[in-house]
Amino acid sequence: MTTQPSAPSAPLTRFVSVEVTRMASDARFLVLMLGMPVGMYLLFTNLPGTSQSTGGLAPQVGAMISMAAFGAIGTALTATAPRLAQERATGWMRQLRVLPMPGHRVVAAKVLAAMIWALPAIVLVFAAAELDHDIRLAAWRWCAIAVLLWLGTAPFAALGLLIGYLTDESSAFAVMYGVYLFLGAAGGLWMPVPALPTVLQRIAHTLPSNRDAELGWSVAAAHGPSLVGAAILVGWLAAFTGTAVLAYRRATATR
Amino acid sequence: MTEVAVDFRGVRKEFGDVLAIDALDLEIRRGETVALLGANGAGKSTAVSLMLGILAPDAGEVRVLGEPPDRAVARGRIGVMLQDGGLMPGVSVASMLALVTSMYSTPRPVGQLLVEAGLAHLASRRVDRLSGGQTQRLRFAVAVAGNPDVLVLDEPTAAMDAESRRSFWAHIRSFAADGRTVIFATHYLREADDVADRIVVLAAGRSVADGTPVQLKTVAGARTVRFTLGDESDAGLDRLPGVTVAEVHGTTAALRTVDVERTVRALLAAREHVPDLEVGGAELEDAVIALGGSSRTAPSRRSPHEGPDVLPTRGDDR
Repeated sequence: MTTQPSAPSAPLTRFVSVEVTRMASDARFLVLMLGMPVGMYLLFTNLPGTSQSTGGLAPQVGAMISMAAFGAIGTALTATAPRLAQERATGWMRQLRVLPMPGHRVVAAKVLAAMIWALPAIVLVFAAAELDHDIRLAAWRWCAIAVLLWLGTAPFAALGLLIGYLTDESSAFAVMYGVYLFLGAAGGLWMPVPALPTVLQRIAHTLPSNRDAELGWSVAAAHGPSLVGAAILVGWLAAFTGTAVLAYRRATATR
Repeated sequence: MTEVAVDFRGVRKEFGDVLAIDALDLEIRRGETVALLGANGAGKSTAVSLMLGILAPDAGEVRVLGEPPDRAVARGRIGVMLQDGGLMPGVSVASMLALVTSMYSTPRPVGQLLVEAGLAHLASRRVDRLSGGQTQRLRFAVAVAGNPDVLVLDEPTAAMDAESRRSFWAHIRSFAADGRTVIFATHYLREADDVADRIVVLAAGRSVADGTPVQLKTVAGARTVRFTLGDESDAGLDRLPGVTVAEVHGTTAALRTVDVERTVRALLAAREHVPDLEVGGAELEDAVIALGGSSRTAPSRRSPHEGPDVLPTRGDDR
């Protein structure tokens, strides 16, 4: 008698690519999450008197990084929360539970797929900034900022999954959008933290949105990213991922 | 390698105050086609969930192909069609199957799955744009995509029309003919009778009967004759010809019989008044009670005079 070998680990890449390609057919996602930050950036930096500097950076550069982070965060959330809520409603998550694909790998694939879509969100804002304001940065600095902002998007993909488990199909997008706007505003992405109300200033630096953008601001201002900031991001990532994996197991374990 | 496909030993599962599975012992051997038959709430879905490692038992042990269920699932040895399982929204039929087959080490080719499911011409259609019947066929293709040793189906035909059901069971029979194990939960007695070579009847989380369809038919009886007993005695009712079980609920007598005509003739001959006389098919619930021993008031039981030629059905063509 033969013993069947364990299922191969190759499906992760296929799972990620299926997740990525099907997002391309979602028009709301493409327009709202990729287009909106570009529009907001052009608006903020071209209205007279509204530009404020962030961390000693030129307003066009500070806002570019803020809006790139905002776009990447929105993309990561939209690629996860409403989709997951829909997949729970259609029973796909239940079926997935009885396929040879462990829960942590499902969560990893969804986080990766969301992050792949976050990359064009960052690049589009950078392109708009470069075209509109002729921003001068060393090539490696552009790349470093983009990569750091991108890596800093991971906690939001995990947060999106968590929201997808805690809401249902009809409420997922609204809840996600509320969280998104809060993270953008309170994290100092719309206006610099010192310009926020005092209450928000106190919590701004604990938020992952602020710490994500901060990675980019630091590199643009020629001082290295803060370790505290990176640690806070990793903490949020661990917290959201852990809770999402737990939620995955719980959601499929109900009768 | 073990010859036992699924093994429940003293399994117990509660949800709060509700005892869903109670001291269940069940051994299903490889190659068997087994129906888990029972009314809603009998514990079928819970048994299926335990079999797949979706739920863990509160007591006892479940093993599938000699290993813990979630291990068997992770190794791709079980194919599953869940009652409320679904498909990944927004992808094409072909990429859905490509994704699922990529998870197994020895899958069936996607092309073969498409042809078997009758979906070859719809390979590029999005799964959320399929008709109900097409969706069910794709779900079945997903279940068998990995060439599983054991196929588990939880009320697979609940959403199907009569024609889809026929072709669905034809697929299952050819799948089982390869010597694979098929386990399906159903509340349709006729499905269990037509497809299974063994029927396990679940009631209140226990296995109350277990045997071949022929064995169960003999015990279950076929039709029920009811009339209002009023104040008269029920003496002798269980000795009427054809009657297997005679029960009295309040003022109503219910006689399960394998020969309606003889029973009714004898009944009318023996009693001056038989008010509200009616004849009905035995409900599945009644059959289950007949099989498992009744909790109702004073049922009298005796061996059937002869085997019925049809199984009682309920709701089969609802």
